[in-house]
Amino acid sequence: MKFLVSLAWKNLSRYKRRTVITMIAIAFGISMYIWIDGFLLGMEKESERNLLWYETGVAEIMEAGYWKDIAYFPLKDSFKVSPKLIKTIEDKGFSWTKRTAFISEMFDENGSLPVIVYGIDTKRDEEVFKLKETIVKGKYLEPNEYGVLVGEWLAEDLSIKVGDVVTVRTRTRLGAYQAVDLEVKGILNCPNPKVNKGTAFIPLSVADREMEMDGRVTEVALGLPEWTSQEARLIPLTKEIEKSFPLLVVKNWRDLAKDFVAVSEGKRGGTSVLLFLIFIIAAVGISNTMLMAVYERIREIGMMRAMGMKDSSIRLAFLLEAGGIGFLGSLIGVALGAFFTFFMVRYGLDYSGILGRMDIGYRVTGIFRAAWDIKAMIVAFFFGVIVSMLVAFIPAHRALKMEITECLRYQ
Amino acid sequence: MVKVSNITKDYMVGKMVVNALRGVTMEIGSGEFLSIAGPSGSGKTTLLNLIGCLDKSSAGEIFIDNEPVSEKSKKELALLRRKKIGFVFQSFNLIPVLSAFENVSFPLSLLGVNDKELKERTMALLDEVGLGGLENRFPSELSGGQQQRVAIARALIKGPSLVLADEPTANLDSKTGSDILKLMENLNTKHKATFVFSTHDPMVMDFARRLILIHDGRIVDEKTMRRLK
Ligand SMILES: Nc1ncnc2c1ncn2[C@@H]1O[C@H](COP(=O)(O)OP(=O)(O)OP(=O)(O)O)[C@@H](O)[C@H]1O
Ligand SMILES: [Mg+2]
Repeated sequence: MKFLVSLAWKNLSRYKRRTVITMIAIAFGISMYIWIDGFLLGMEKESERNLLWYETGVAEIMEAGYWKDIAYFPLKDSFKVSPKLIKTIEDKGFSWTKRTAFISEMFDENGSLPVIVYGIDTKRDEEVFKLKETIVKGKYLEPNEYGVLVGEWLAEDLSIKVGDVVTVRTRTRLGAYQAVDLEVKGILNCPNPKVNKGTAFIPLSVADREMEMDGRVTEVALGLPEWTSQEARLIPLTKEIEKSFPLLVVKNWRDLAKDFVAVSEGKRGGTSVLLFLIFIIAAVGISNTMLMAVYERIREIGMMRAMGMKDSSIRLAFLLEAGGIGFLGSLIGVALGAFFTFFMVRYGLDYSGILGRMDIGYRVTGIFRAAWDIKAMIVAFFFGVIVSMLVAFIPAHRALKMEITECLRYQ
Repeated sequence: MVKVSNITKDYMVGKMVVNALRGVTMEIGSGEFLSIAGPSGSGKTTLLNLIGCLDKSSAGEIFIDNEPVSEKSKKELALLRRKKIGFVFQSFNLIPVLSAFENVSFPLSLLGVNDKELKERTMALLDEVGLGGLENRFPSELSGGQQQRVAIARALIKGPSLVLADEPTANLDSKTGSDILKLMENLNTKHKATFVFSTHDPMVMDFARRLILIHDGRIVDEKTMRRLK
């Protein structure tokens, strides 16, 4: 065995150029895969965080009817939050805040845009969301004031600034037309493009009064200090609420951000296409190399067989040789991939200049950061080695099917 | 040691049958220094390949140490070759990535001989074939005569009972060729290994102690020679 390994190694270093080129092909494929995978995982993780912090929380409680028509923000399906509901939520370890969402048209002297307005509990909202930290101009809302926070992109589109007054036109819960003047108190720049682009926030008490909510809200958003076991912790809460409050439903952030989930599932399809591409690069590169290696050595193979070397040993020597190329190529590929990923995790890629305000489903803006995907690295590595070995099997097998005398006469 | 009993070998070339051997019967005794001679296309290579168990005859039987070869499986034949038969070819057929030392020790590696013994035996034999000091050279760094010495050492290293050499001097000039033949003769006496070599060169035939002449797949003459030193 030691002898076979050393023979394979010597043969591998026989044609340095060819070996190196094959290794580069494999390394290229593997590092690309690791890089892109880490990149997508990073976007996914950051998207998840930006959804949870700025858009949905861990989950939301709402009326079943509201969930059914959620695209229309049906205010009639709002509900009053009872102390019993709050106790249930807190007993299960969740933090909470009440919100009322409605669609409106926001005006200033230049024009109007459709905007989703959230009435937020200015005291409690931070229990679940992190809006306050994203304010870049002006300040946060005071309770009861007729003020509004708008996203930076929306402010740009309407060319409004802190201190301006905008008019919000909508229909109340009872169907009456309503127009409210609000002073822009703050502008926020949030890493979640959905929030930046078309969302405004006003105090819940103002929303309650102007929208004729009569103490009702459209949703209770839930937070958790730790996200790691959120799925597991949501299960008992969901059960409890379904039992005690038959009109209410609990929807987790995945349910609430369907567009994002669809994009990230598309990503999974994308990575398998990538994996397939690597397979092709590695397989074509190494199969060509091994084909040449075997055919150049037919006479040698004949000699070794004449000396009584077993066919299985000869085959193994070729597999080891190919595996060696695959091993080195994969090793370099993983190292390069990790190197890229390191920079992408640490510094990220500032793409704001390239993409501007594009909304591609991922809840990220400004800087792409990669995440470490160790499992994918290990998989890619073994994939490179194993594919290389499998591919060498075919030419080796063909040479061994020839008669020994034929091999010895081969030119 | 080797008994060849009425073997024939036919090749199919397209739809034509080529009778390369048409009934060859002969015996090779232990320790012989035998030449199989004949013109090109007479069947020398075919016969040596059959004796060396590299190929199967179309009819007839070959016995090696009284065991019929035709009944053995490919694996058993490989094992037989590994232990008992050494090969030398016209074109040397050394493994280019291995040094002279590694080429010679290759058969011992196949037999799983331990490193220490492998080293001792290989170095001793390299000295004996006149390659002392050249053990780290690669085939491409050796002359034709030196390469053939490596090949002979490789054939002999495992102490085989039979060494088959197919036109071992055909690629060498006559001076180098006769040096190689003298070396083979020496090794034949010292190691008591049977040597069978083929040739079409009368000068080479003269080295043999027994000569079998074949023509068109048949043995046409046989003589025992007493060489004058
Ligand atoms: N694999 C093969 N397929 C078809 N015909 C073959 C094959 N090998 C040998 N022959 C034919 O068998 C006959 C004997 O060939 P062989 O190679 O044994 O002769 P040889 O005496 O070794 O000749 P040379 O001195 O040229 O090496 C020749 O007519 C040759 O053409
Ligand atoms: Mg021949």
